[in-house]
Parts: sequence; structure tokens; C-alpha cells
Amino acid sequence: MLNIWLIAKREYLERVRAKSFLLMTILIPLLMGGLVYGAALANGRSGSNLHIAVVTPDRQFGLDLESELENTKRVDSNSDGEGTKQGFRKVDVVSPPASDTRAVLNDEIKNRQLDGYIWVTPSATPHTRPTFEWVSKSKADILTPSLLGQGIRTTLTREGLGNLGMQPTDVDSLLKPVDLVTEDKDAAFASVYALFFLMYFVILFYGMNVARSIIEEKTSRIFEVLLATIRPEELMAGKVLGVGAVGLTQIGIWIVAGLLVTKFGLLAAGVSFSITPVQVGFFILFFLLGYLLYSSVAAALGAMTSSEQELQQMNMFLMLPLIACSLVILRVVRDADGAVATAFSFFPFCTPLIMYVRIAVHQPPAWQIALSIAGLILTILAVLWFASRIYRVGILMYGKKPNLPEILRWLKYS
Amino acid sequence: MPIVELQNVRKAYDTKIAVAGLSFTIEPGTMFGLLGPNGSGKTSSIRMMIGMTVPDSGAVSLFGEPFRRDHLKRVGYLPEERGLYKKMKVMDQLIFLGELHGLDATTASKRAHVWCERMEITEAIPKKTEELSKGMQQKIQFIAALLHEPDLVIMDEPFSGLDPVNAALLMDTLVDLRKEGKAILFSTHRMDQVEKLCDEIALINRGNLVLSGGMREVKSRYPRNRVQMEFQGSDAFLKHPSIAEAKNYSGHAEIRLADGSDAQALLAEALTMATVSRFEVMEPTLEEIFIEAVGENVDA
Repeated sequence: MLNIWLIAKREYLERVRAKSFLLMTILIPLLMGGLVYGAALANGRSGSNLHIAVVTPDRQFGLDLESELENTKRVDSNSDGEGTKQGFRKVDVVSPPASDTRAVLNDEIKNRQLDGYIWVTPSATPHTRPTFEWVSKSKADILTPSLLGQGIRTTLTREGLGNLGMQPTDVDSLLKPVDLVTEDKDAAFASVYALFFLMYFVILFYGMNVARSIIEEKTSRIFEVLLATIRPEELMAGKVLGVGAVGLTQIGIWIVAGLLVTKFGLLAAGVSFSITPVQVGFFILFFLLGYLLYSSVAAALGAMTSSEQELQQMNMFLMLPLIACSLVILRVVRDADGAVATAFSFFPFCTPLIMYVRIAVHQPPAWQIALSIAGLILTILAVLWFASRIYRVGILMYGKKPNLPEILRWLKYS
Repeated sequence: MPIVELQNVRKAYDTKIAVAGLSFTIEPGTMFGLLGPNGSGKTSSIRMMIGMTVPDSGAVSLFGEPFRRDHLKRVGYLPEERGLYKKMKVMDQLIFLGELHGLDATTASKRAHVWCERMEITEAIPKKTEELSKGMQQKIQFIAALLHEPDLVIMDEPFSGLDPVNAALLMDTLVDLRKEGKAILFSTHRMDQVEKLCDEIALINRGNLVLSGGMREVKSRYPRNRVQMEFQGSDAFLKHPSIAEAKNYSGHAEIRLADGSDAQALLAEALTMATVSRFEVMEPTLEEIFIEAVGENVDA
């Protein structure tokens, strides 16, 4: 135990003291913040500030659409909760169009006086909808056409209902948007995805760090000094724990800093994960076990390979179970006690994610939870044992990538 | 009580037998040389002594008891391929390795300073390992093996890569350790280094023990049949029947005498035709003994 502690301590201190740790700790949130801010900025631009024109022979329809579009509001649930104004800054109605209207509007788009225009062509047959054409300078903006389509549909409906003799106030109340009240499932979903990406991230960065650190010791040949006093099992376990502690430190720093910066802003924005303390406990438990399992696998990969390039090729082993989990996660959320969910939650490499999802969505029987955790722990120990075996034999003939029969034979060596 | 005892130890890897039934013992206060050409099984034997690999058959005893892992706290090991954490500071590294051998950080640090002074590398203490010269890194590793004051010091090819000054410093240190009663085992394929240092030797080849015993005793098994001489005049005496083999470098001759022949008779013969300024009867070198025992050339 003392040896494991010493190895873990060295691994932790050397990594945390390194400049790259400080850099990562500062840069990653900046980068993520930048991305989120950039995305919000890009989102905010569409619709809200546009100057467009509506070209239609039907003047009344043009005016109706103008008022509809200028008043369009969309409540954006991900922002500060007040709802951002998604209306259009200015809507010009050209009715009826002159022969040179299209050329004039195209010029205006080119000169950036106009962001786009809707060209309405009446249908040749009566009682069918006219065709609508949206011409704009930005092809990438997908939000604006959908807002426009929504506006046009509402205007047409309003017009049709009016034609049927309905009062405008009745039409208004009929067309009022519906607030869908959802229960906890959304929140559980959010926390599940949060867990998934957190785990994905930590496994990618720190799991691979475990493998890399093992390879580094192989190339520098320091392992021979280490193995003269400690067992390979202790070395592996120390590395997994030490590097893992670095990952937890980093994530801890981010969370605390994030909370301080936003002053619990997440909660204020109405994004609550609404998880119970029991679920938080399971989250932490499965997160830790999941990290331990995957970094043990990474340790085995590091023991098998002798260079980073070889390690890259072996990455798939680490990713495959995670990808499998992401493929079935929707199904598990829908049917938490179904055959698929149950089977995957007992497959140790999927247990951390899938069993957590099951618990978050719908509490499975206690014996199932206990059994899956026991299986997980046994698997971690087995993988570590396997890794240390491979490591011990691997160092005696390093420089050559072992094939499968060789690996199996190595397991028998003592 | 022997510090190390190998009894008929055998180890085979996939395709080859690395060590085939090796036995020897090392007593306290002994400098023991494990000799043999490259690939003869020296490192494989050493790895079994420190439990890095387990023998297929046979027994390893340390400090008079069957091998246990906690014995390793009393062993200092310098591997053949040197390695340190490149990015780590020298002192941190020494303390870490000391702690792994059961020292507490304060003791490790104190001793590390003393050793750095002794090995004349105090200027390296605040530096990172990767900033040091190769020779300095070797010394750091040497210190790391000795920090916990082991009773058994095992060094695999300790002199390789050292310049003569540092090699001499290392030899002096090893001699001091022997005086303190430590058992020292080192392996080398450079036989000439061993002659000066070792009390006992074991010569191995292809995993087999070829020769072993006290240095003097081993050498005394072989007749003093080497002659080195310097002379002026005719070299016709080199055809004398007592000579098995002779190399003549114009006035300097290295001669191997035939079995049972008399060096004095050769000298008498030589004096009849040349002026002899030096005539020395010598024992064979270890290298010559090895070649004779193995019957093939040593890859030096």
C-alpha cells in the first residue's frame, strides 16, 4: 500500500506542478467559454437583426406577414430565461412587384442593404397555396428560414380562420404558443449526458495519460529501478490513482471556478439537474469506478505497446465500449428496465454509464445495482492484474509489439 | 551466512535458455564478479536475484533465507540500462527512490546530499535530470542504488559509459563499501576491470557456469605459463620446443609455454643468442583463462 501511495504521489505532484497542467486548467474553460459565447452570438444574430423584404401581389397578406414577423418572439430556454426577441428588425412590403423588383432587391442584397427577401408567387389554380421563395445572402443560416416558415404558416392560418368568420381575438388565443410542462425526465437526461461527456473527456485525457506515463517509463528504462523494489501491480495501481487524482483536481478546479464566476448562475438560469442526493452519490461512485476501469484498460494498453504511435492504434479498445453505450443510451432512457438496458448495465465496460442512467431514470432493484458494482470492481482488479502481467513480461522483450498468442502465453509466465 | 545463494537456478524464455542451472554463493564483504560475454545470461541471473523474474526451477536465497520481497529493501540495484525520470529534479528523484526503498524523506534528502558531495556532483542537485550530462546521470543512478545503505549491492555493467576518472571514483566507492562489509556483485564483460577488483568470480557462458571461485584460487588452477620478454639480438630461441605459441613484436615477445615445460630452460636458451633486458613469467589473464575454458573467443 505504501508503495502504491508513493507512486501515486509522485505521479500527482509531477503532473500538477507541470506548466502544461496550469495551461490546460486555464485554457480549456476559456476555449469552451469562447465556443459557447460564439455559438450564442451566432444564434442571436439570426432573425433578430435582419432587414428583409416581402414581395407579393396580395398587399394584405404582405402587411399581415410583416406584423407577424416583426412580433415573432421565441423563448430561448437555454439563455437567461426572459426570452430573446427573435423578431425581424425591419420588413419591407413590396406589392405589387414591378418588373425590375427582383433585380433591385438582388442589388440591395449585394450592397448589404437587405439581408434577404421572400418572393411570393400566387398559385395558378384557386384554393391552393402560393409558392414562397426565400433569397438571402447567407446560405448557412438555418434558423431564419424556419422562423420565416413559421411566420408564413401562422399568417396563412390567421387569414384562413378570418375568412371562415372567426374573430381576430379568438384567432389570437387559438394561435398562442403552448408551454409544455415536463417532469424530471428532462433533468435526468441532462445529468446523464453531462455524466457521459464528463466521463468521455476524463477517460480520453487521463486514461491515455496513464498509458503514456507507462510508455514513458519504458522508454526511459526507469522501470527497472522501480521493479527492483515494487511489484508491477503496485506500479500500475499507483499510476492509475495518481493520474486520476490529477484529473479530479482539474475538474474540481473548473467546477469551483465555474460556480464562483457565474455565482451559481447555472441554477439561476433555470438549468437544474434536479438530482436527488442519492443520485449524486451514485453519480460519483459510478464516475470513479468508470474512470478506474478505463484507466486500467489504458494501463494494459500502455503495457502492451512501446511507443505512442502504437498506442494510438490501440485506442479503439478504449473507445468501442463507450461508443456502444452512446448508441443504446436513448433506448435505456426510454425503457430503463428493458432487456437491452439490463444486459448492458451488467456488461462491466458499460456498467458505469448504463447503470447510472437506469438509476437516474428509474430505480432498478437493489440487488441489480449491487451485482453490477461487484462485477465492475472485479473487472477492474482483473484488468490491473492482466496489465501488470503483460507489463512484467513485456519489459523483458520490449521493442516488439506482442501478438495475441504471445500475450496469452505471457499471462502464464511468472 | 551467505548474502546470496543460487541453487541450480534455471530460466528459459520463449525460444532460448537464458540460465541453465546456475549455482554460486556470495559472502558478506565480498566483491563478486559475474563475468561472461554479451548474452551469456548475466542480466537474466541478476533479475532472478531481485525477484523481477522467477526462476523456472532452482532456488534463490537472500540473507540466508528463501527469497522474500521485503529482502529487496536491503538490496541496491543498478540496472544495465540506466534510466531516470527526465523531467524530475535530481533531489526529488533521489528522495522518491529512497522512499521506495523504505527511507523517510528527511533521511533520504540528508543522505542524498552527502552522496552528491562524495560523488562530486553537488552542482547537479537543483537541476532537472535531463539537463545533466550522461556521466552525471550515471552517478545519480549510482547514488540512488546506495542511498538506503543496502547490505547487498548489485550492479549490472557499472563501468560502461564512464570515463576513466569516474570509473576510478566508482571503483574506490565499491572498495569502501566492501570494507564496510557489504556484499557487492557486479557483472561485466570487460574482464580486465575485474582482475583488480574482485575477490571472487563466476564465469558464465550461454547460461552455464564455466568457472567459479576465489580470484586467486581460480588463477592458481592455471599454470604460470605466460612469458613476456624484451631482448636484443637473434630471435631464433623462439623456436625452442618449450614454446607453444609466440608473438614477436621486434624485441618484445609474448610467449605461451607448452604444458610442463620449464621457463628457466627457455631463458637459458635465449641468453645464448640475445641480450635479455626483461624476462617475466606471468599468470594468465582472466580473459585468457576464459578463452581457454570456453574454447572460443570472448566478445569484448
